[in-house]
Amino acid sequence: MILEVKNLQKVYGDKTVVNIDDLQIVAGETVGLVGNNGAGKTTFFRMLLDLIRPSQGEVLSKGENVMQNGDWKNYTASFLDEGFLIDYLTPEEYFIFIGSLHNMSVADVSAYLTQYSEFFNGEILNSGKYIRDFSKGNQVKVGIAAALMQKPEILILDEPFANLDPTTQIRLKNLLKAQAGNMTTFISSHDLNHVTDVCHRIILVEKGKVIKDFKTDENTLQELESYFSA
Amino acid sequence: MLSTFLSHQRKSFWRSRNKGGSIATQIIIGFFMLYFLVVAVLMGLGMALYLPKIFPNQGVMKSFNGIILYYFAFDFLMRLQLQEIPTLSIIPYLHLKISKRKIINFLNAKALFSAFNVWPLFLFFPFIFLEIGGVEGPLVALMYVIAILSIMVFNNFLVLYLKRKSITNIFFTLIGLAIVGTFAALEYYKVISIMAASNFVFSQMTDRPYLGLIFPVVAAAIFVINSNYLRRNLYVEEMGAKQEKKVSTDYPFLNRFGKAGELAALELKLILRHKRPRYSVIMGAFFLLYGFLFYKAPYIANDAFAKMIFAAIFMTGFSILSYGQFMFAWQSSHFDGLLINKIDFKDYIKGKFLLFTIICTVVTILASFYAFLSPKLLLLHLAAYLYNIGFCTVLVLYLATFNYKRIDITRSASFNFQGMGATQWILMIPFILLPYLIYLPFGYLNRPYLGLMAIGFFGLVMLAMRSYWINYIAKKLELKRYKIAEGFRE
Repeated sequence: MILEVKNLQKVYGDKTVVNIDDLQIVAGETVGLVGNNGAGKTTFFRMLLDLIRPSQGEVLSKGENVMQNGDWKNYTASFLDEGFLIDYLTPEEYFIFIGSLHNMSVADVSAYLTQYSEFFNGEILNSGKYIRDFSKGNQVKVGIAAALMQKPEILILDEPFANLDPTTQIRLKNLLKAQAGNMTTFISSHDLNHVTDVCHRIILVEKGKVIKDFKTDENTLQELESYFSA
Repeated sequence: MLSTFLSHQRKSFWRSRNKGGSIATQIIIGFFMLYFLVVAVLMGLGMALYLPKIFPNQGVMKSFNGIILYYFAFDFLMRLQLQEIPTLSIIPYLHLKISKRKIINFLNAKALFSAFNVWPLFLFFPFIFLEIGGVEGPLVALMYVIAILSIMVFNNFLVLYLKRKSITNIFFTLIGLAIVGTFAALEYYKVISIMAASNFVFSQMTDRPYLGLIFPVVAAAIFVINSNYLRRNLYVEEMGAKQEKKVSTDYPFLNRFGKAGELAALELKLILRHKRPRYSVIMGAFFLLYGFLFYKAPYIANDAFAKMIFAAIFMTGFSILSYGQFMFAWQSSHFDGLLINKIDFKDYIKGKFLLFTIICTVVTILASFYAFLSPKLLLLHLAAYLYNIGFCTVLVLYLATFNYKRIDITRSASFNFQGMGATQWILMIPFILLPYLIYLPFGYLNRPYLGLMAIGFFGLVMLAMRSYWINYIAKKLELKRYKIAEGFRE
């Protein structure tokens, strides 16, 4: 069990935003989190990453509470929003900084980045811009590439497909699929097509609660569509 | 149309998200303005009395004529720094069925709402009406009024034009100040005289009032040039500062400090690449002149360090204080990113200490030019330096863990009070009081050098305890991380 959530609750005022009794994720799973706006997806991810203090309960990463011990940072990479990027750096500076946190040399980083030239579509590297000057889609690319560069065991992405152009969406799907099995991936998405395509397991949340939790098969997309059109 | 624009502006102010903050800012600015207005009025009214005293060897008219161009030279430099280009507010109108001419008129009208366009009126008009009107007659007085208004408008739009062309930055202002200073020096040594030139221009106008009509013509010319430029370049991306190619940089000398060095380098880039933090550090360089106010010859001769220690500590520590008072909040836009990454809180705090130490060392070295007044001052500065890197850094970083207020770092620097809170004021009290408390007993016993040593020693002890403080503050930060991150996300 690489990730375990026990009795996790977050309450703002008298509103319970997240309320998950028990959730277990096995190493190597690719899990999709689906739900409408306000379902508590981002809050849940923030608690997984120890950015918000839960009102109750705990998140265990490899059996250790993420609040008590920072070891999970060694093998967890994530990109939730632009707040994760240091936007006054050039992309190169940012990659080198993130790499240095994982003891990667400048050479390691540039070697790694060459394999992403297709993903970047020639727009990111040597562009002579700071990250803040990029379009949102390109910022997302930088964030995702920096997360993957850390060779994480756990990857957490919040709506990675939003803001990406169609070509990059497909490339990202292929990237994620290629990693399936070696890496535990947890993504949220509003795009039912993509999420059922990439993920082996779908968790459906509504008002902070897990409504459904099931393995994907050929009927999943229809099932989800009928749920959301109801 | 203009009134619609203005009413939208008013709404955008009153309905802005951080209304409390911006109103507070406006009130503070309002007080400043009121103060300067009162000063301007008093100066304007008192001009007839004081000019003969300041320039006893010449007639009052000659003095008055002489200072006009000087005033507007300074006015121009101040505007270069402080006057903002009204740009962003027009974006929502550009795609609508509104003619470009109207939008430009709005921009031009809005640009006139500036304190710089009020001061000259109060400063010069009383003298013009009371003195010139009486002596030279109403026509000449009228021409003076037209001339002053025209130069004011000229400055206003010239600065905006220059700013729009992005041929301005702080170095230009410094160069400009140097030029004006040189002219003042040349004036003083009677090589050439701007006062004479200024007097020549305006005395010509007194003799032949129709010459005064040249001023409005020149002002109108710059107005037209500015408007034409706007009309041709009414694209939002072209109206802001021009984009230059950004390059990656590396600071090898920081690499030897490991992760803490990486983080310090990161923050150094933050300072260099944003206006507001850059200003807060550069202000430290301006405060280096503070010593000239405090280091008086009798104090130095008598070793009266009690009277000078404040200046010494303030000068060497100002950058730490002005940048550090908003500590952590500078990084509020990416604080989440720092938390989820593999960054040890201790390294994070170490990086801050490192950065402060570097800045403070540089400032102290710069301040050593005071050795020309007396080498004793170097000892004073050394004590102040040790106090600052030992104690002030700890104080600033400790208080930073109580700061939950987000700062939008991309916003402009001048008169920006975003992120101000109680911590900023609490900070000042121990910073100023403690050195006095340490020094005073030695001062009373008439052992001034022992007093300096005591302050320096205190700094050294704190410095020796640095790893303890790093652990302590890192623990604090770890405890408060949720609250800080939450505040920064707002």
